[in-house]
Amino acid sequence: MRLEKCWFCSSTIYPGHGICFVRNDSKMFRFCRSKCHKNFKMKRNPRKVKWTKAYRAIHGKDLSGDNVFNFERRRNRPVRYSRELTHKTMAALKTVEGIRSKREKRHYDGRMKGLTDERRRNDRKELQKQVHLVKAPILDAGTASPSDRKEKTRIQVSSNHVKHGQTSGETSYD
Amino acid sequence: MQYNFKKIASVPAASDFIDVVLSRTQRQTPTVVHAGYAIARIRQFYMRKVKYTQQSWNEKLSRILEDFPRVDDVHPFYSDLLNVLYDKDHYKLALGQLNTARAMIDKIAKDYVKLLKYGDSLYRCKQLKRAALGRMCTIMKKHAASLAYLEQVRQHMSRLPSIDPNTRSILVCGYPNVGKSSFMNKVTRADVEVQPYAFTTKSIYVGHTDYKYLRWQVLDTPGILDRPLDERNTIEMQSITALAHLRAVVLYIVDISEQCGFSIAQQAALFHSIKPLFANKPLVVAINKIDVRKLEDLSAEDRALIDGMRDAMRGPAAMQLGDDDALPIMSTLSENGVMEVKNRCCDLLLAHRVEQKLASRRAGEVMNRLHVATPVPRDSKQRPAFIPSTLEASRARKAAGEKIVTEKELQEQNGGAGVYSADLRKRYMLENDDWKYDIVPEIYNGKNVADFIDPEIEAKLAELEREEDELEAKWEAERMDREPQEADLDEDERALLGEVRTRRNKLVAEHRRKKAAGNNNPVVPRKVDHERKLNTKNMKSSLESMGLDATAAVERARSRSRVVKRGRSMGADASMGADDANEDGKKMRTSKSRSKSVAKRVKDEVGGGLKSVDATLRATKMADKAQRKRNKLAKSGEGDRTINTKLPKWLNSGKRGNGKTDRR
Repeated sequence: MRLEKCWFCSSTIYPGHGICFVRNDSKMFRFCRSKCHKNFKMKRNPRKVKWTKAYRAIHGKDLSGDNVFNFERRRNRPVRYSRELTHKTMAALKTVEGIRSKREKRHYDGRMKGLTDERRRNDRKELQKQVHLVKAPILDAGTASPSDRKEKTRIQVSSNHVKHGQTSGETSYD
Repeated sequence: MQYNFKKIASVPAASDFIDVVLSRTQRQTPTVVHAGYAIARIRQFYMRKVKYTQQSWNEKLSRILEDFPRVDDVHPFYSDLLNVLYDKDHYKLALGQLNTARAMIDKIAKDYVKLLKYGDSLYRCKQLKRAALGRMCTIMKKHAASLAYLEQVRQHMSRLPSIDPNTRSILVCGYPNVGKSSFMNKVTRADVEVQPYAFTTKSIYVGHTDYKYLRWQVLDTPGILDRPLDERNTIEMQSITALAHLRAVVLYIVDISEQCGFSIAQQAALFHSIKPLFANKPLVVAINKIDVRKLEDLSAEDRALIDGMRDAMRGPAAMQLGDDDALPIMSTLSENGVMEVKNRCCDLLLAHRVEQKLASRRAGEVMNRLHVATPVPRDSKQRPAFIPSTLEASRARKAAGEKIVTEKELQEQNGGAGVYSADLRKRYMLENDDWKYDIVPEIYNGKNVADFIDPEIEAKLAELEREEDELEAKWEAERMDREPQEADLDEDERALLGEVRTRRNKLVAEHRRKKAAGNNNPVVPRKVDHERKLNTKNMKSSLESMGLDATAAVERARSRSRVVKRGRSMGADASMGADDANEDGKKMRTSKSRSKSVAKRVKDEVGGGLKSVDATLRATKMADKAQRKRNKLAKSGEGDRTINTKLPKWLNSGKRGNGKTDRR
């Protein structure tokens, strides 16, 4: 009994799960669930479907090409059973898994580096831009430093122009 | 050449023949002709008939002449057989007559076609045609006897056995009732009739048998009596023909019991009289019916006669095989010695044929091309076959007398099939035999353990751990780079941001709701929209909603608005701002002479590029009028469920094919 990998999403298929399609050139395609099978039938390329392992590995979302993955491999060289070797392997398996999870964590952290900064910057910008929704800008202007405020200059114009100026002033409040 | 006469087409009787040809002519040529036609056309019409009839005769007669084998062309055996069975002269004569008839018919057709060229009327042409066809038929009628004879010959020939004169064959002959057919039945699968009277077999029969992976033909001939050739009947003559012409081994069967009605002396006499026929052929004399009478029981004279036959068989002409001191004996009843006789015949014939081939001119050519290679050892080194050491060990154990218990024996000891389950692991070759029955984990934490098994795993793991330590140290060293640089928002800012987001979400939701609900509504201009109208009231509420003090702004707006004059309605006071300012110029010009009781028109504003109120009114009226018709027309649009024409012509007339009426 073996745990197989899904052809589409590369997840582990436990015995009794999924479906296997054997093409007439005897190539086997195993699928972990109907979702993957359907995607295969739709001729989708797993490298271009975002939720698959293949996509994530290619696009640097997941750790890939690391030494730690060289331990798990189908070696087509038969090895005669030895109890000691099996014990060693079992011990090594745990160690390797530990190292792998650590490296994955590191990979993730490296990927998320600078994200907090960006979020904070964006928050600040958002607040700056949209505070008028809850606070009158005039009040805000009052709190701002005097140097920021522009000095209003009074210009002498005809009565008609005054009317228009008034109209446009009101429009901005709406 | 294949000697198969089954494919000859049947020969019709004369009257049928005539019917066939004439009706064919009638069917295949034009039938309508009128006296009014051009004479050339009439002539051509009848000429065609005559020619066509002649062609049909020619075709059919040629077919018959081709199908029947010519006596001179076939193998001499068949030629003689045809002579014996059907009388060669008669056969040849019949075929010759048909040939002549064919030529005569051709001649007649030629003559009459020539005459028809001079036919001057339809009647004459017709008479000429009649005469031509009539003469042709008369000729064929005269040969009715030949046709009937040929049909009989055909039927008989189709039933002749297909004998291949050139293949390996055994020819069985002897007096009637000596057991020729019985031998045939034993040796082959042919089911020849066997009866206890003379001449049961009246013609040659063929059966097939296998010897040395070769196909052998066994020919069963009718019995022969000892009398001069010209006195022999047809049945005997068939045997003689076969003996004379086939290159086969001759098996002469002697009935030792004399039950056939012929004494051994008579049988020996026959043997000697037909001996010339055996010349240049391997010969076997077999003694039959030894179940009735033993060879030892014979009288001295009979014994001498049989020995005489044996000597003849061993004569210089006959082939000799090593063991020929005794005549082969057999009993077709008890099947003793039958196979020995057959084998002896076959061996003899094979040897004979090989000798003949060697004697022929072509043998040398073949022999020159043959070469049997025997490898010469290149050195004195021994190159024995390789025997695996395990095999040698097991052989040694076997030699030492050790009993090897097989899996099958184990199964029998332990409850038999279905109960015993074989131990597949017991022959595992491991470092330690204790490990044979270890239970090995296959899956651990979602991994195949087998995929991790690697003899060099320790070294690789150590290397990985070293690498991991390095990476870890490097990672720790770079910790500071990963810390966020930007300061976080403080409490107030965060609260404010929360409020902003809530407010924005509400606005967006409201906008979406309105948009969805009022998707089809016209956009009302701000001027007439009560809520959005630009006036002091709205300005005030808007400013106040933002928490600003609107008093000053309102004051300013009011101070600038026009002072309402006395005599005006209070309604005008309510409307302030830009609208009022626009209106007042016109209103001032309203004639004082008009009675105040005249109701104020609702729409008397001038705008939209129109000069006066009147013009506006006129324009409104015209627009209404124009709209009226348009409204009416608009009702008969696609969306309206009206039926304009009850029965459209194009839907309800004309032919209809498949499909629905309303889809046409």
